[in-house]
Amino acid sequence: MWSYLVRRIFQALFTLLIITVLCFLLTRFSGDPLAQYATNPRMSAADKEALIERLGLNDPLHVQYFKWLGLAVQGNLGNSFFAKQPVSEMIMQRLPNTLILMLTAEFFTILFALILGIISAVKQYSFIDNLITMFSFIGFSVPIFFSALGLMLIFAVQFKAWGLPYLPTGAAVWNKSDPVEYIRNLILPVSALVFVSTAGYSRFVRTSILEVLGLDYIRTARAKGLHDRAVLFKHALRNAALPLVTIVGLDIPFLLGGAIVTESIYSWPGMGRLFWEYAQRSDYPVVLGVLLVISTAVVFLTIVTDVIYTFVDPRIKLG
Amino acid sequence: MKQKLSVLLSLLVLASMVLAACGGGGASSASGPIPFPEGGKSVTGAYDQEPDAVVPYFTQMSFAIWVTQLTLVGLGEWDDQGNFVPELAVEVPTAENGGVSADGLTITWKLREGLLWSDGTPLTSADVKFTWEMVMDPGNAVTSRTGYDKIESIETPDDTTVVIKFSALYPPWPTLFTQGPNNGGGIVPKHMLEGKTALESDPFIRMPTVASGPFVITEWIPGDYMTLLPNPNYYKGRAKLDRVQIRFVADSAAALAALQTGDIDWYPNFSEGDIETLKGLEPNVKLTVIPGVDFEHYFFNLGRVDGVDGRGKADNEGFCPFKDVRVRKAITLGINRQAVVDSLLSGYTTVPVSQWPNSSWTNDSLVVDAYDPDAAAALLDEAGYTVGDDGIRVGDCNGEQVRLSFNFETTTAPIRISIATAAQADLAKIGVEFTPIHTPAGTFFGQYVDGGPLTTGKYDMGGYTTGFYPDPYTDNYSCENIPNAASPTGNNWYHNCDPFLSDLMDTMLDTVDPAERKAILDEAQAYIAEQYYVIMMYARGNVYGSTPRFQFGPVGPESDINWNSELWDVTE
Repeated sequence: MWSYLVRRIFQALFTLLIITVLCFLLTRFSGDPLAQYATNPRMSAADKEALIERLGLNDPLHVQYFKWLGLAVQGNLGNSFFAKQPVSEMIMQRLPNTLILMLTAEFFTILFALILGIISAVKQYSFIDNLITMFSFIGFSVPIFFSALGLMLIFAVQFKAWGLPYLPTGAAVWNKSDPVEYIRNLILPVSALVFVSTAGYSRFVRTSILEVLGLDYIRTARAKGLHDRAVLFKHALRNAALPLVTIVGLDIPFLLGGAIVTESIYSWPGMGRLFWEYAQRSDYPVVLGVLLVISTAVVFLTIVTDVIYTFVDPRIKLG
Repeated sequence: MKQKLSVLLSLLVLASMVLAACGGGGASSASGPIPFPEGGKSVTGAYDQEPDAVVPYFTQMSFAIWVTQLTLVGLGEWDDQGNFVPELAVEVPTAENGGVSADGLTITWKLREGLLWSDGTPLTSADVKFTWEMVMDPGNAVTSRTGYDKIESIETPDDTTVVIKFSALYPPWPTLFTQGPNNGGGIVPKHMLEGKTALESDPFIRMPTVASGPFVITEWIPGDYMTLLPNPNYYKGRAKLDRVQIRFVADSAAALAALQTGDIDWYPNFSEGDIETLKGLEPNVKLTVIPGVDFEHYFFNLGRVDGVDGRGKADNEGFCPFKDVRVRKAITLGINRQAVVDSLLSGYTTVPVSQWPNSSWTNDSLVVDAYDPDAAAALLDEAGYTVGDDGIRVGDCNGEQVRLSFNFETTTAPIRISIATAAQADLAKIGVEFTPIHTPAGTFFGQYVDGGPLTTGKYDMGGYTTGFYPDPYTDNYSCENIPNAASPTGNNWYHNCDPFLSDLMDTMLDTVDPAERKAILDEAQAYIAEQYYVIMMYARGNVYGSTPRFQFGPVGPESDINWNSELWDVTE
């Protein structure tokens, strides 16, 4: 077990190293951090040279990378080129907002996926199953920017135009210590995320349950005279939910990255917007910082998940 | 089950509506120089970029400069009529009032009596001198020292007199220590920053909590919003509003929706492409378009590897036919620019005569060339380019057969894509194959070492927006400023070395007399027009969307809505 863990941790560190190299190259080749000053007539050639020197952009690429890496391994993600603030501080300012948004969305996604998936499976080929299937396919097909903008247009813009109580667009300055205000501002972004994510999960739950319902032990349970509800919730669902737990487990680290589109549309000050805003400016310390946090979480939570499997399912042996 | 589901859904909808109805105004408690009173007048604006720092000299970001206009004012500024007017000073220095010495090397500013910072500390000439020292301190990573490095010394004989001595003539001196929409030069408080270095990382530089302008920043939640409250010591008196909040949003789409619901009161950064949408929302949303001093222009790469008379050697040779003024003129006449303005830009702006539009520097004697495809075709015939079998003209250029087929490079902005497509169709009618290539701005404006097409001269024609103001001098035509391997940061991206024009522009640096400088610039504008070096597409408009309740003061091409924010008000 311990030798397995040590081996996995070394593999994880190597993976992270490769990820940082790739991310660094992608970010550096995606644009010039000084491009925003390009057409500014008040920046002389000397000013631009001084800025290039200060930001270290005149160093060869590998020197720039190793300088960044040298600081990163000491836990210092450097300073943003433009905000001039420590990247770790910027991440910590946004992370709580992202976690609130994403965990709420994940909770409702799982809840609705289970409800819809179970109904769909139990009522296979019924009208309600077809209806849920239709909505699932809509959720699959509609891109998040469309559903997010659509919800905003209906429940914020049009509801106001129609004189109905309307939900906020997220762009107002609102009081975060007021729980009612918080919930009002969460409803639309969470709904947009849930609408899209529930579609996939509910199909997954439906298939899982249908598979389990056809197994011998369910037939045995029924033969013993158990009520349908008991068969479903005590026997079928517990086994059918296992694959869902795996998928949700793998999703959790990605929640740290936030949702670029949803956070942007609803002006939610989270990690996704932080990443996107600074990627547009090619501010690579911020971009790499965010990516490093996400990839570290993905790599290490995968190890944790593997270890947890050994406790959940005794058939699995590590090593 | 169906019944239970419908009950559940009804409850959800009901809960949403109750929560929506319960919401209050969302006012956050704030403390500051003049605390926000219960039921006070408040507005919320939206910016799609969060300022990086709100002390000028440490930022070049427009959004940041806009906030500095509200908080840290300068000795002078430009008003809605384009006049250079005093701000912290009593008057603008001139030769007549003795403010500009006979040799032009000494500028004397006289400050108003009794100026105070928002914390009650006197604002004196020592603050002006300290501002210069801070900019020149090598320990501070300011974004630009241009102009300030020409100052030899600053003397402060008394609290209200500032005597600035230049080491060499510096005609753009009005841009130093002054504020404008794109000229961050406000005075900084000595008592807050004295003795510190590496100020770029100082919290005060990011968020100055002491102000000389109408408002003081009292709260800034990164990624979210900032709050400004009135400065009780502002020299023009207390601002009309009790609070200004600026919310950071992702883009104009988010701002547009928020304007419609009244979640925000104004958004200053709509593009000309949004004009039609905003017009459709009137009167619930107020549209304001101010023709600006920036301009969108197309230009030819005129690089010459061997340079001209030993000057201005470029690393890449421009497209050969562009060296003939008749070809440049034909392409200019062949694009229906007025149609672009009328249709794609809803007629809210104009085709400018020169690169100094809508300002006191414009050469008003010049006339815009009208769209004339017949004259364009005749010019190309005359230059020896005749229409080939495929409809594209072919001709001889320096002994080689060349097709009039070339690339046009610009960014991916939607309005640029639309306009380039229209130009492509127009030019096809006169036998010119104009192929737009749209590159992300970060790559298009990339540095020489990163292979940026503009800096390396690896393009045929290009297009982007810029503007030469508040001072009209530009080194964009300087032979010595063409970027190349030896000097990669030059600003002459036209790669055009015309020794006459280069020297003419430089004579603008030989005099501080505004009339003399205007005469030189008039000649330069006429010469550039005659040579068809650039195609002026349209003067960029400042497009504001606001709620009808939000009232701002007079706005002009050289000033945005922030220059007189003390007049901002709301009508309920």
